[in-house]
Amino acid sequence: MSSYKVSMDIGGTFTDIVTYDNQAKRYRATKSSTTPGELSRGVISGLDSVIDDLSDIDFTVHGTTQGLNAFLERRGVGVLLLATDGVEDSYHIARGPRLELYNAQYRKPEPLIERKDVVGIRGRLAYDGSELVPLDEEAVRDAARRVRDGGYGAVAVAYLFSYKNPDHERRTREILREELGSDFTVALSHESAKEWREYERTSSAVVEAYTGPVVRDYLRNLEDELSTRGVEAPLHIMQSSGGILTAASAREHPLQTLFSGPVGGAIGGAKLAESLESGNLIGVDMGGTSFDVSLVIDGVPDVSTEAVLEGQPMLMSVVNIHTIGAGGGSVAWIEAGGLRVGPRSAGASPGPACYGRDGTEPTVTDANLALGRVSAEGFAAGHMSLDIEAARTALATVGEPLGLGPVDIAEGICDVANTQMAQAIRTITISRGIEPRDFTLVAFGGAGPMHAVFLAKELGIPETVVPRFPGAFSAWGMLQGDVRKDFTQPYFHLDEDIDPADMSRTLRGIEAEALASLAEEGVPEDKRHAQHSVDVRYQLQEFFLTVPLTSADEPLDPDFGRRLAERFARQYEDRYGHANLGAPIEIVTLRTRVTGVLESAEERRSEPAEGADFPHRTKPVVFDREPRDTMIVERDDLRSGHTFAGPAIVLEDTATTVVPPGFSVRVDDQGALIIRNLEVEGND
Amino acid sequence: MTLLDHAEPPVHRADPVTVEIIRNALTSAANDMNATLIRSAYSPILYEGGDCVVALLDTDHQVLGQSAGLPLFLGNLETCSKAVEEKYGSEVWQPDDVWILNDSYLGGTHLNDVTIFAPVFVDGTHVGFSATRAHWMDMGSKDVGGSMDSVDIFQEGLRMGPVKLHEAGRETFIVDIISTNVRFPYQTIGDMNAMIAALRMGTIRMQELVARYGIATIEAARDEIFRQTEALERKTVADIPDGVYEAEGVLDNDGIDLDTPIPITLKVTVSGDTIDFDVTGSADQTRGPVNCGVAQAVSALRVGYKLLISPETNSNGGSFRPLSTQVREGSVLGAVAPAACQWYFSHLGLLIDLVSKALAPALPDRVVAASHGDSMIINTAGTDPRTGRDWVTMEATLGGWGGWDGSDGESALINSVNGSIKDLPIEMVETKYPFRITAYRIEKDTGAPGRWRGGNGATREYEFLADCAVGLWFERSRTKPWGLFGGETGRGPEVIINPGRDDEERLLKANARPMKAGDVIRLTASGGGGYGNVADRDPQAVASDVENGYVSVDHARRHYGYEG
Repeated sequence: MSSYKVSMDIGGTFTDIVTYDNQAKRYRATKSSTTPGELSRGVISGLDSVIDDLSDIDFTVHGTTQGLNAFLERRGVGVLLLATDGVEDSYHIARGPRLELYNAQYRKPEPLIERKDVVGIRGRLAYDGSELVPLDEEAVRDAARRVRDGGYGAVAVAYLFSYKNPDHERRTREILREELGSDFTVALSHESAKEWREYERTSSAVVEAYTGPVVRDYLRNLEDELSTRGVEAPLHIMQSSGGILTAASAREHPLQTLFSGPVGGAIGGAKLAESLESGNLIGVDMGGTSFDVSLVIDGVPDVSTEAVLEGQPMLMSVVNIHTIGAGGGSVAWIEAGGLRVGPRSAGASPGPACYGRDGTEPTVTDANLALGRVSAEGFAAGHMSLDIEAARTALATVGEPLGLGPVDIAEGICDVANTQMAQAIRTITISRGIEPRDFTLVAFGGAGPMHAVFLAKELGIPETVVPRFPGAFSAWGMLQGDVRKDFTQPYFHLDEDIDPADMSRTLRGIEAEALASLAEEGVPEDKRHAQHSVDVRYQLQEFFLTVPLTSADEPLDPDFGRRLAERFARQYEDRYGHANLGAPIEIVTLRTRVTGVLESAEERRSEPAEGADFPHRTKPVVFDREPRDTMIVERDDLRSGHTFAGPAIVLEDTATTVVPPGFSVRVDDQGALIIRNLEVEGND
Repeated sequence: MTLLDHAEPPVHRADPVTVEIIRNALTSAANDMNATLIRSAYSPILYEGGDCVVALLDTDHQVLGQSAGLPLFLGNLETCSKAVEEKYGSEVWQPDDVWILNDSYLGGTHLNDVTIFAPVFVDGTHVGFSATRAHWMDMGSKDVGGSMDSVDIFQEGLRMGPVKLHEAGRETFIVDIISTNVRFPYQTIGDMNAMIAALRMGTIRMQELVARYGIATIEAARDEIFRQTEALERKTVADIPDGVYEAEGVLDNDGIDLDTPIPITLKVTVSGDTIDFDVTGSADQTRGPVNCGVAQAVSALRVGYKLLISPETNSNGGSFRPLSTQVREGSVLGAVAPAACQWYFSHLGLLIDLVSKALAPALPDRVVAASHGDSMIINTAGTDPRTGRDWVTMEATLGGWGGWDGSDGESALINSVNGSIKDLPIEMVETKYPFRITAYRIEKDTGAPGRWRGGNGATREYEFLADCAVGLWFERSRTKPWGLFGGETGRGPEVIINPGRDDEERLLKANARPMKAGDVIRLTASGGGGYGNVADRDPQAVASDVENGYVSVDHARRHYGYEG
């Protein structure tokens, strides 16, 4: 009997579904239209198209943009914030930086709640968690009445030093639930983000309260729908950290799902790194309006402990995705007689001129179409046909004033966009102390493979990889994730004050709690792992590096202090280009990550090619300002071992790969396209 | 002749695509230099505060590419390589040399701002310069980090150059002189090496560009890039009605003689597509440390200009061509030796605001009413009884910004010359220092009334849990944040020691004033100025302000006729 693992990635326009057949050891990808307002219908219809009997599904994982969209579109619930009396303005002061230095008309990023929705509650803890002023319980009951009368949908509670002593926050929730019912959403700051820095922790709790009810309702509906269609396997959710959790746990910690959608690609990249020579990857994901860059370093996705979305900070583990304002929709325009491309985007509406939705400005997609790099009929799996005349007309509005013919302006726009993207990648890698030449570029998303090879050339990167299902790579990546939970414990000590026994005891306590929590995720005991790390910095610095520990017992090692300092110095050197071994350090936060390893979905090797030939045709495509005879090949016609040279274009349902002259392509035994620069490597 | 054709057309026109690729590459090269500097710096003021700037220059010292950087460092890196050439001639440039300079009267700022720069060579040909300026935490002044009461440059630390830091790729003795004259040599030399790493990055990027496009194409592209920038700015300037526009204000005092205000005056003359800023009427240089060199006054004027004329474009050698400046030697804006320059920025914050005030009649939709305008500094030092360790802190206080056509000013925001620095979290402050922050709030009614009201200043109140010494620099109580077009004036700064107690005391400046455990200090920064007449304010906005506590009911009734 067949059984399947399934991942579902719901985007704004399309829902990507990837299935893994446990017996055949095969992946399949499919796409269905997203059905706004009734998202589960799109998912079910996609599943129906690939699996006969949905009860054969034994594992599901889902990346959701529900929380993210509620945030971006500002349609979360009304939140009342309870904060420490006297300093309750911390949320609106927001630490006061001016993020645009040359803008005298600067406004802070719009907060999610207004100042009138903040209530100061008396009760104060000292820095060590001891109580200075008891909690004003009557004030909390008054606030509960305001919630009821004012129609608020959730409450966020953020008191000073709650990470040292959560009693006041917990008691506040008890009272609120007595008054408002046990179902009412109350986000406590020490649960949303158990770290110091009151503004960032408060902001985390506010985001969790604001988006939480939306995410919860959605997950409950999707679970119900799947279950009525016979899917019995529990639903899992991708978290911002790149780990997965059951939907039941995700409902308790909805903040963790905020970047659930985009991180799948980075996890996929980490999996891909296992089968490539290089463990160092730069992932580029290009869609219509954005261009996302992620890094995999030594086989591990680059994860940070803080995220900022539209100026709102959140303290949580999150896979680093650097978004660059460039994409197929970037608009070309003229300023003072000079050509400019972006940063403004035509977005999805009106979109590029060739979409035929009344867009008149030329975009990068229009330029690609005019050059023949995108085919008018085969865009987005045939869901959309493109108007090449509209593209040419729009391009001429910029080309003619500049004295550039149709080919020169179209390729010129692509060249400018490519160098801008390459430069942005270079600056990101340099600020991380990474040399891009040592990395492999992985291209996914609908438009990523269209530009990736040009970017690799610009950056001096010898190899570009286009994985199977590039358009559904994020969904594929979700099937490669492990269960993951992150725990933190603020633990501020100067190096000379560290009490090793206490530190070890504290870590063991967190470990026991963390491992036990994996039972809720259905992870058997022998599949549970804990990893500890500690945030370390030089004294007087504000920011830190997260330094791994070998175990909870490591602090008991008599040499621990020296080893920690050395490990920190090594990491610091890697990150910042120098270190200061011997300078006093301090530790800030203990971190414990527990993972549950899931049954892996290894794919059977791709069928080797039976000969060197494969079906293809030839058509003219512009490279270096000249139409060149270019090989057009369907990806489904390629088998592992096939090789060919650019210029070539590889077509598939979800993406188009453009291979310019001077590059060779090899299909590896996973079915990935390995594209190399002939000048750098020679053809292999 | 159209405006776009005004600048001299280049002899050889590079094609528009190449020009745009080179334009992006030059900015990107500067961004890479900046990323290298911030990544390698040892001091938080650089890697967190971003108190630095980098640029690539051509052989005529024109900016090819520059990072956004600290606004006050805008457009005065080129004075440094120029100063060398004036002194030693252009044959002084040799491959693998690195130069350093921090002389206040050449660089314009205090001695802590150090410029390091190097000529760039490709195959033996001098093609330009790579340059960077950064704030060093200590230069060996009489007080740690710098003084609030120095009276000459000799109290302010090591003054250099221009001198060679590297010669033919090897460090000179200057490095040793620096190490023996500053208080934190380890970090300082670390920061110095970070700056040199940034220069190397800039040199590599420039060499790559020359190798790829050739110097002739890059020069043609440069001319076209400058022409585009100049044309945009000239067009904006030409749209300003011709005329003379004036504004003035005063600094409270120079920090030494507390009773004498320091006038700063600005006369703007617009004629066609040129604009002249004349600050010669400003006060003579002072005994206290509120002076700066000419180069820094020009920088501040350029910031004021850029905020109104070209806020969105990266500056380059085509920028500021419509602008001329007149600064008087021997004035607070054109200080000569041995004037003290440590606190060089208070009058520059004022000057930047005055540009907006002067040009308000001409650019009503671009200008903003005045902000709190200065850093509003508190520093503390003492011994923590919990640990027996010494501590030192310095914090700026957030203030209100002015309103503009279409929006109220922002509340509780850092002042302009501090870039993007953040406040210190209360949880961090109380954990590390023996204080308790007993209040931190947006102070209602401090922002000025207007159709678009000023933002409110912040109040931050400290209770000291240990004896300590406090320094204060709160400014702009005489020239309070002004309004525009009928908007009113914001409330000035206020510092109260032990409010409500018998020993309550008000003051704005202090040096190492002793405080006892249990003493309280309440700091309130000014609110911003208003824009437009109060009578025109939307009643719903007034109601919303009352509801959100930005203004009190009483204030709303008195100023806006609120009837709620």
